[in-house]
Amino acid sequence: MFKKSTEKKHGAWLEKNNISQLAVTVLAVIACLFSFVCALSFGAADISFTDVWQSVLNRFLPSEVENEVGFVQRIIWELRMPRAILALLAGCGLAISGLILQMVTRNPLADPYLFGISSGASLGVVILITLTGGIFTVMTPIAAFMGSLVAMLMLVVIAGRRQSQQVESMLLAGVALTFLFSSFTSLLLYHTDPQAVTAVLFWTMGSFSRAQWENLLFPSLVIMTCITFMLAYRRQLNAMLLGDESAATLGINVNRFRLIMLLLSSLITATLVSMCGGIGFVGLMIPHIVRFFISQGTIFGILLTALVGGIFMIWVDILSRTILVNQELPVGVVTAATGSLFFITLLYFRKNRPN
Amino acid sequence: MSSSLKVSTPALLTTEHLHWCTDGNLILNDISFTVEAGDFVGILGPNGAGKSSLLRCLYRFVKPDQGKVTFKHQNIWQINANDYAKNVAVVLQETPSHFNLTVYDVVALGLIPHKGIFERANKMDDEKIAQAIEQVGLPHKVRQNFEHLSGGEKQRALIARAIVQSPSLLIMDEPTSHLDVRYQIQIMALAKSLGITVIASFHDLNLASTTCDSLLVLNQGQLVCQGTPSEVLTEKMLLNVFGVRAQISEHHQYKVPHISYDYAYIQSEQQFEHENKKDKPYV
Repeated sequence: MFKKSTEKKHGAWLEKNNISQLAVTVLAVIACLFSFVCALSFGAADISFTDVWQSVLNRFLPSEVENEVGFVQRIIWELRMPRAILALLAGCGLAISGLILQMVTRNPLADPYLFGISSGASLGVVILITLTGGIFTVMTPIAAFMGSLVAMLMLVVIAGRRQSQQVESMLLAGVALTFLFSSFTSLLLYHTDPQAVTAVLFWTMGSFSRAQWENLLFPSLVIMTCITFMLAYRRQLNAMLLGDESAATLGINVNRFRLIMLLLSSLITATLVSMCGGIGFVGLMIPHIVRFFISQGTIFGILLTALVGGIFMIWVDILSRTILVNQELPVGVVTAATGSLFFITLLYFRKNRPN
Repeated sequence: MSSSLKVSTPALLTTEHLHWCTDGNLILNDISFTVEAGDFVGILGPNGAGKSSLLRCLYRFVKPDQGKVTFKHQNIWQINANDYAKNVAVVLQETPSHFNLTVYDVVALGLIPHKGIFERANKMDDEKIAQAIEQVGLPHKVRQNFEHLSGGEKQRALIARAIVQSPSLLIMDEPTSHLDVRYQIQIMALAKSLGITVIASFHDLNLASTTCDSLLVLNQGQLVCQGTPSEVLTEKMLLNVFGVRAQISEHHQYKVPHISYDYAYIQSEQQFEHENKKDKPYV
C-alpha cells in the first residue's frame, strides 16, 4: 500500500515538472511573438498595430486595399521584418553559443567573446577597411567571418593539442588571442585615417541596420542546426557539468565532444559578428538569467534560453531605434547597459532571498 | 593470495601486470588481480599509493603503459566506450557543479549509454529513474538543486545515476570521504544492497573490513597484499604500509577484524620512508 502511494507521488512530480516547464516555454513563445509584432510597430515612421496586422495579412491574403497600405507594407516587409528577424536570430544564437561554452568549460563566466572570436572578426574588418579606405562593402561580413574563423582555428589547434588540460588551455588561449588580435587592430587603426577609425568603432558597437532578406538564410541555417545539435546532445552537455572524468565514465569522448561544441559555438558567433558587429553581454548573461529560474539541462531549458535571448535582443533593438528621435543608438551599448542593470537587480534580490 | 577468491564464480574483471607512469613517476607497478562476479572488493592504501590511478585504469579513463585490464575476458580498450559504460558505472568523489542541475537531471544522466542522441526518455525510463531515486531515499529532493545537497545526499544521487546505468560492475572512488559516520554506513549498505560487483577505495579500514568480501592493499604503486579482510588486516601490514600501530580484534557482531589504533604511536616521516624501502612481507 505504501509502495503504491509513493509511485503515485513519483508520477505526479514528473508530470508536474514537465507541465510547468512546458507552460513557461509556451509563455516565452507568446512573449516572443508579441515582441516581434512590437518590433514591427515601433520605429521612425508611426505605424499602428492595426496597420501592422493588416500588412501581414495582406501579404498572405491579397486584398483590394493593397495600394493604400503599400508604403506601410514596404517599411514593414523590407525594413522592419528582416531587422526584427536578425535581432531574434542574434539573441537566440548568442545566448545558445554562451550556454554551450559555459557548459562545456564548466565556467559560468565563459562568453563567446572571451575566446577571441570577436577580436578576430574586428581584425578582419579593420584589415579590409584599411585596404579600402574606410568604406563598408559586401566584403565586410566576409572579412569579419574570415577573421573569426582564423581565431577559432587557432583556438581549436591550441585546445586540441593539450588534451589533459583542455578547459584551462581554451580559456587562457582565448584571452591571449583576444589581446593579440586587439593589439594588431590597434596598430592598424593607429596608422589609418580617422574616417576608418570611426567606421570600425561604429561596427564594433553592433547594429542590425544591414539586415536584408537575402542575408538571413545563412545565419538562420547555422543557428537552427546548432540548436538542433544541442538538443540532440543535451544529455552529454549535462554530463560535462559534473566533470570530464565523470562524463567519460558515461561513454562520452570528452575532448572530441568539447571541440565539436566549441566549433559550433564559434560558428554561431562568427556568423553573427560578421552580420551585426560586436554585441557583448547576451552570450554571458542570458544563460545566467534563465538559470535563475529553470534547469537548463532539459529541452525546455535550452529552448527557453534561446527564446529569452531573442526576446531580449528584439527589445534592445526597439529601444535603440526609439530612445532618441531620428537617431539610432548602437545595439551593443543598449545591450550592455540594460542587460547589466537587469542582471545586477536580479543578483541583488537573489542575494536577499532566504535560502 | 588468490586462494581467498571464490573458485565457483567467473572472473568479471582482471588486471595483468599493469604499469602506468606520469611525468616520469611510476604510479602503478606490476599490478595483477582478479575480481569475481558478485564480489565487493575494497582497495586500501595510504595517500598517494595509487588507489585512484588504479581505479582510473579500471574505468577506462587512463590507458596503462603496460599490461591490460580485461572485462568479461575482453580487453577494455577494445570495447566501445559506450558499451563499456552500459556495463560499468562509476561514482567519483564529490564533483561541484554551478549549473542548477537538479537531482533528477543528475540521475537521468545514467540513461546516456543506453539512449540514441535523438531518442527521448520514455515512460519506462522515467519509471526507472523514479525507482532509482526511491531506492537511494531521495524522492523528496528530486527537484532540488544538486549543488545544495549534503555530501551524503550527493553520493546517493550519484549512486542512483549508477543504478539507472544498469551496470554489472560499480566502481567507487573513496565514496565515504568527507561523510559523517551515519552517511558512511548508509552509502555502504546501499552499495551492497545493489547485489552487483563493487570495487571501491577506502580510507576507513574498519568500514572496509565490515563491508568488503576481499581487499587489495596498495603501497607506492605496488599491490602488496590481497585476500579476505582477516587475511589482509594484520598488525604487521598496518605498521609497514600505513606506519601505525594497532590492535586487531574480532568484531563481536560481524566476526571480521576490528582495528583499534594506538594513538600515541606516530612514526616520523624519515623512519616511515626508511621502513617503506625495506623489502618485507606485509602479512
